[in-house]
Amino acid sequence: MKEYARDILDAALATGGDFAEIFYEDQRTNHLQLLGGKVELINSGRMHGAGIRVFNGLNAIYAYTNDTDKEGLLRCAQQVASAVRAQRKGTLRAKAFTVAELPPPHVYRQWPSQTDTKKKLDYLRAADAAARGVSAEIEQVSCTLMDSEQDVVIINSEGLYVEDTRVRTRLACVAIASDGKEKQQGHEAPGALMGYELFTARVDAAKVGREAAESATLMLHAPECPAGVMPVVIDGGFGGVIFHEACGHSLEATSVAFGMSEFSGKLGQQIAASCVTAVDDGTLPNEWGSLRVDDEGMPTTRLVLIENGMLKNYMIDKLGGKRMDMAPTGSGRRQGYANAPTSRMRNTYIAAGMDDDREMIATMGDGLYAKKLGGGSVDPATGGFNFAVSEGYLVKDGHISTPVRGASLIGKGADVLMQIDRVGREMRMAQGMCGSISGSVAVNVGQPMIRVKRMTVGGRA
Amino acid sequence: MKMDEFIPKLFEAAKEAGFGVAEAYVLEDESFKVVAMNGEITQYSSHQTRGLGLRAVLDGRMGYAATEAFDDAAIAQLIRGAKDSATYCEDESEQFIYDGREPVLQLSLTGEDARAEDKIAFALDMERIAKAYDPRIAQVGYDTVVTGKVKVRIINTHGMDKQYEQSVCGAYLQPIAREDALTSTGMEIRFTRDFSALDATALAQAAARQAVEMLGATPVPSGSYRVAIQNLAMTDLLETFSPAFSAENAQKALSLLRGKEGETVAAPCVTIIDDALRADAFGSRPFDAEGVPSRRNAVVEQGVFKTFLHNLKTAKKDGVQSTGNASKGGYAGSVRVSPTNFYLEAGEKSLDELLADIGEGLLITEVEGLHAGANAVSGDFSLLSKGFVVEGGKKGRAVEQITIAGNFFEMLKGVQAVGSDLRFPSGGFGAPTVDVGVLSVAGTEEKA
Repeated sequence: MKEYARDILDAALATGGDFAEIFYEDQRTNHLQLLGGKVELINSGRMHGAGIRVFNGLNAIYAYTNDTDKEGLLRCAQQVASAVRAQRKGTLRAKAFTVAELPPPHVYRQWPSQTDTKKKLDYLRAADAAARGVSAEIEQVSCTLMDSEQDVVIINSEGLYVEDTRVRTRLACVAIASDGKEKQQGHEAPGALMGYELFTARVDAAKVGREAAESATLMLHAPECPAGVMPVVIDGGFGGVIFHEACGHSLEATSVAFGMSEFSGKLGQQIAASCVTAVDDGTLPNEWGSLRVDDEGMPTTRLVLIENGMLKNYMIDKLGGKRMDMAPTGSGRRQGYANAPTSRMRNTYIAAGMDDDREMIATMGDGLYAKKLGGGSVDPATGGFNFAVSEGYLVKDGHISTPVRGASLIGKGADVLMQIDRVGREMRMAQGMCGSISGSVAVNVGQPMIRVKRMTVGGRA
Repeated sequence: MKMDEFIPKLFEAAKEAGFGVAEAYVLEDESFKVVAMNGEITQYSSHQTRGLGLRAVLDGRMGYAATEAFDDAAIAQLIRGAKDSATYCEDESEQFIYDGREPVLQLSLTGEDARAEDKIAFALDMERIAKAYDPRIAQVGYDTVVTGKVKVRIINTHGMDKQYEQSVCGAYLQPIAREDALTSTGMEIRFTRDFSALDATALAQAAARQAVEMLGATPVPSGSYRVAIQNLAMTDLLETFSPAFSAENAQKALSLLRGKEGETVAAPCVTIIDDALRADAFGSRPFDAEGVPSRRNAVVEQGVFKTFLHNLKTAKKDGVQSTGNASKGGYAGSVRVSPTNFYLEAGEKSLDELLADIGEGLLITEVEGLHAGANAVSGDFSLLSKGFVVEGGKKGRAVEQITIAGNFFEMLKGVQAVGSDLRFPSGGFGAPTVDVGVLSVAGTEEKA
């Protein structure tokens, strides 16, 4: 493609665009599912295509196709060019490619395409057996393995030509406990930017199954959570979804650039309690949300978003950077060739603080200890968020007491950041898929245990 | 290579590899999207893509694989993938590739598209009209026009070869109202077959009105409230809990409705229909993902649970006929069960009449975070919601930052009345406004 890439970029620029980019992708995926201990499904796929993007001032035109030979790409480029309504003439030409200095690649040891299906199924069977061994109340277990090898080539009219390969592997286990009348669900889903060394380096498949089943069983016997306003302690790991939803999305250029975010224009101001430092880091070796280069071909960065409560940086993609007159931060991401990139999170976490986990519970009085959280959502305009507590416990007079189910945490991002009064010492991360306008991308969320002074808890009792 | 060359080659390779029957599901997809902000087009995209999903039977077991590339390497990859898939699969159920050579039902699922310029003008108009509606409309987010066309073809070695086309045009916007330190949003969405049926003024004004109405919204005290859920929010809830009506989920012990056919599961005023043949909704199709002709199915009739939704495999297991609900997520993947046009049948009462019946309570207009705060298996939900207080039988002040919580299946039994305002906002799901009786609400400190 390198030989004719500049012809395609030139065709895309022919009507006056000021920047053109090709994102080529070939991705092989495997999806294996074990249900009730039996192999339910094995599916493989090959996604293949390219997207062409042109900037015209602060606006972008995007088109994509599966037809990736020279003629197909030229047609796609012409289609994009025909939609550009530039004031100026199309005199700009793509620059010659320069050799970019890139960070070292992430190391992948056990490639999915070189791993036997049989061996993959063994990991699933280990998770399944452990889950079903937890209690007689475990009625159903579904374990899935997803792996992908994504080759990308990112080329632009500023002379960039970057090739990269991303390998991801993830195990998900859902266990359902039932007493004949009611059902409750437990869920664990660890993954990483690596191949099947995931199971030797980081993840014990049996432990994943066991934890999902234990959580489901516990919640089956838990009473409903009472509703009200109370102090809430949120555990480390997936608890970081609170920051992801409540603040992370509002710090993406997508919402900041147009003044739609509550944090627009607040750089240098205090937006969180002084015990809060938050980071979005795309460089961590082999983490689920890491990338050697982002989907615009720029090396990723470690970006301090909030330092001791002060807003330091936004997450910025190339177009967002033009709109905000700020430099991009290696945060341009997309699900695949069918999506134009935009500013997205990578591995986003509240950094470790100085507080003791036991002390923060002992001194909270009556409230809720949210040990595990489910997903959530946020409206970036108002900062209003909500997320589900998948495993919660009531705290009575500083002591963890009964487990409770059905709780949700609601509030506004700006309020909750200011209400954090304890940040623990041990930061942990967990994996998620984040959906937004450029599709679904792999992200880590993370935090140590934290305490929020007052939060609205939704529940049924 | 061309599809008409690729498919015979693929079937030939499948036969050589020892597969019995083979089937290709081909999806061709065209779409266009334009987003406006501050009087300019900020996003513009279009595409044409195609993908092929292979299903093939080896020793009584089904193998799957899919591709977006159509070269010789793709044929080898498909055969290898399907072979692996069939070899290790332990699903013992009988597998079907449908030999259906009946004529395809003629449904009118396509409409008149518009020129790109007209769609751009429409998006710009919506933004302008929304801003002009009220000085407090500070911004308009997600101001979007989308159009799309899909062509589905299923061809197999039995000799079945059928296809259909469908198209949609849609527009939506989310105006943001600001006053002092207050911010609120509104949202409107409309899908049609003919672009000319979209009305920029109606959409923009309705969305802007909602945003302005929500300014100054506050929570209500926690407690139990009589609640009406407005049509769009009710549609979201119905969609979220629709997996419980799938025979596939029931057979996997993932539905609380398992074994309840013939039992009363809802109030007598509740009727739930799945009807792929209804052309005014957007989940319509003449045949399903296995090629089985579509039909209208009463799922719940006057409160009585009549049938799960089935594909050929689940129907065989339960000893019934397929309801024509075989589905695929795109071209890839296995054949599952999904609703088509799945809706709560309209009742008689207008929104005003429903509110008059409620007297004192809440009208919920929007629920959020369904993927997190609602569990389709247990039926439990606890959702961040917006809406209005109902006082003296009329819509009162705006409410936000509350959660409504309950259990969907209990709620169906407690339904008091169903409104007449059935709508299909953007897909196959639809509902009217429903007076659901009493729900638990979390807001500020307990009400006295």
